[in-house]
Amino acid sequence: MGNYHFNFAIVWRYADKLFNGLLLSIELATLTIAIGMLIGLILALIELDGPRWARPLIRAYVEFVRNVPLLLLVYLIFYGIPSAVDLEYDATTSFVVTLSIYSGAYLVEILRAGLAAVPLGLVEAGKAIGLTPFGVLCYVRFPMALRIALPSLSNTYVSLFKDTSIASAIAVPELAYGMRWIEIQTFRTMEVYLLATPIYLLTSYAILMLLRLVERRYAITR
Amino acid sequence: MSDIQSKPVISMAGVTKSFGLNQVLKGVSLDVAKGQVVAIIGPSGSGKTTLLRCINFLEEYDGGSIKIEGIEVGYKDAVGERRRRSDRDLAKLRGDAAMVFQQFNLFPHLTATQNVMLGLVKSRGKSKSEARQIAHRWLNRVGLSDKFDAMPSQLSGGQQQRVGIARAVAMEPKVLLLDEITSSLDPELVGEVLAVVKELAVEGRTMILVTHEMDFAKEVADRVVFTDQGHIMVDAPPATMFNEQPNDRLRAFLSRFGSFRH
Amino acid sequence: MTIFLQTLPFLLDGLLTTLLVAGSVVLIAIVLGIPAGCALVFGPFWVKVPLRLYADFVRGVPILVLLYFVYYGLPAVQVNLSSMTAAVVALTAFKTAQIIEITRGAFQSIPTGQTDAAKSIGLGLMDRFVQVLAPQAVRRFLPPFINSLVDTVKGSSLVSLLGIVDLMLSLQQVIGRTHVALPLYLMGALMYFSINFPLSVLSRRLEKRFIY
Repeated sequence: MGNYHFNFAIVWRYADKLFNGLLLSIELATLTIAIGMLIGLILALIELDGPRWARPLIRAYVEFVRNVPLLLLVYLIFYGIPSAVDLEYDATTSFVVTLSIYSGAYLVEILRAGLAAVPLGLVEAGKAIGLTPFGVLCYVRFPMALRIALPSLSNTYVSLFKDTSIASAIAVPELAYGMRWIEIQTFRTMEVYLLATPIYLLTSYAILMLLRLVERRYAITR
Repeated sequence: MSDIQSKPVISMAGVTKSFGLNQVLKGVSLDVAKGQVVAIIGPSGSGKTTLLRCINFLEEYDGGSIKIEGIEVGYKDAVGERRRRSDRDLAKLRGDAAMVFQQFNLFPHLTATQNVMLGLVKSRGKSKSEARQIAHRWLNRVGLSDKFDAMPSQLSGGQQQRVGIARAVAMEPKVLLLDEITSSLDPELVGEVLAVVKELAVEGRTMILVTHEMDFAKEVADRVVFTDQGHIMVDAPPATMFNEQPNDRLRAFLSRFGSFRH
Repeated sequence: MTIFLQTLPFLLDGLLTTLLVAGSVVLIAIVLGIPAGCALVFGPFWVKVPLRLYADFVRGVPILVLLYFVYYGLPAVQVNLSSMTAAVVALTAFKTAQIIEITRGAFQSIPTGQTDAAKSIGLGLMDRFVQVLAPQAVRRFLPPFINSLVDTVKGSSLVSLLGIVDLMLSLQQVIGRTHVALPLYLMGALMYFSINFPLSVLSRRLEKRFIY
């Protein structure tokens, strides 16, 4: 270990960077999954019930996004688009857009599977009590699909939380960026990581446990 | 159908087994003589499948003893103390109490012949060619002479189960254990499987079968055992069991099977 | 259009580095992860628990943080690694945990009836493993494994943040020189896509083929 003297006090002074960073990471993840689910739901419905010519387009979107690194997508949207088109936006907005598009691609698959797994009998029951197709969607198909897909959705949410760390590459002040910032300022690299890594672990674990509780109450497993 | 002989093939005395807080077997004693066919019937949860699975130690029983031809299954008496047998010992003994399963459990990556051969080569030490001959002979016996190289996914349920029977019988076990072997089959496929079992019974094989097919039990078994809540309630020849129904719970149970209503 | 042709050699160099990094990581992770996964399924209590903890710990932390930790954090305790070594170590730690999970899933998804049947025809533990369980586990292992290779290639792009000139960084360098951002980013995306998409397709084909 050599002559390294652990000094947590200095790091502690900047703890607010970690705390605010954590909050931002959670906000980013939550905002992203909300938008992503909207995208995913719409596209899943189009893919299941919509016009046939739309399907290859949706497929292309999903395949492209899932096979390209997130970092590249982040750069593409943050640097690439403003250079070609007359648009300007800050890093956080750019990242939210990118991660939403990214999560949307995964959520299309998850929601499509969830919708497809809703038993036909339930849909017919909905029609039988006089609901319009839109009503059936809102009151029967979507709630059921959500419950069926809950475990996958939980895992996706935790993954998104971890993916927010990539935002540090374009200087969005989330948790990973906060870690690097303190480390650069104080040179106390080991302490920062010893403090901050458990934050990711504990938060991931806490989110997962909370979602498991929700699952126990609402999820449907075969 | 044969006479009772002096030394039982299977002797169970006071067998107990619990899963957590739930005691499934509460002291079961049963002897099975050579050549006998014993059918075990009873409601779900009465412990009949657990009892069968204790005989070849797929379940570890807690108390009492189970012996196959005098050798204690699963445990050995070392200086008065009971110790669990090693995996190698267990493996050798299990081949003597081969089992046919409700879900067939054929090895999906092997052909029918290979399924039957595996135990012969690895446990009985036969050469591959010898094992293959035996396997083919048994597959012929169960009526699958054109399916030697078929994969389980290419076989119907009834055919798969017949391979399962061939696989078990090829081991020349001291006792054949049949665990609700027709419960997962479509009704029209049940007959072909039961026909094979009947042949084996007529040949004089020692068999213990857990079944819901009451007609079959009546036809093939020498003795029928009725289990309920972890005990053996009735142990009688089929005529007595099904015609006289000497037990209230038995009567209630059988009334659910139309033809035996009293 | 000439931009693409001019920049291609640089990008291909970067691509080579990407493949090298991803390839090394996968190889080491297989060698470590598969036996560890088997140990997790079949081993004694005192082996299972540390492996479980390791797998859960590593996968609960973002890969980027892991990379930073190995490259920036370890030097503080006198463990100085080159950027390439640090990258491979961090990525391998992550991938090994992933492979442990996939291996575990492969064995645990085999119906228990298979073990029962194998026991009932007198096979001992070694024979059960080699003749019955392992063949079925392999078929359950391959589709998710090949799918995970896509994650590895994508994850390798993070080494660019450590200064390693992989496809991602060489892309940025080229853009820095030519100032043609969007088309080059798209080209880079296409290059990653051309590696990962065939893997995705292969994984899905295998999954269909191996349904029993």
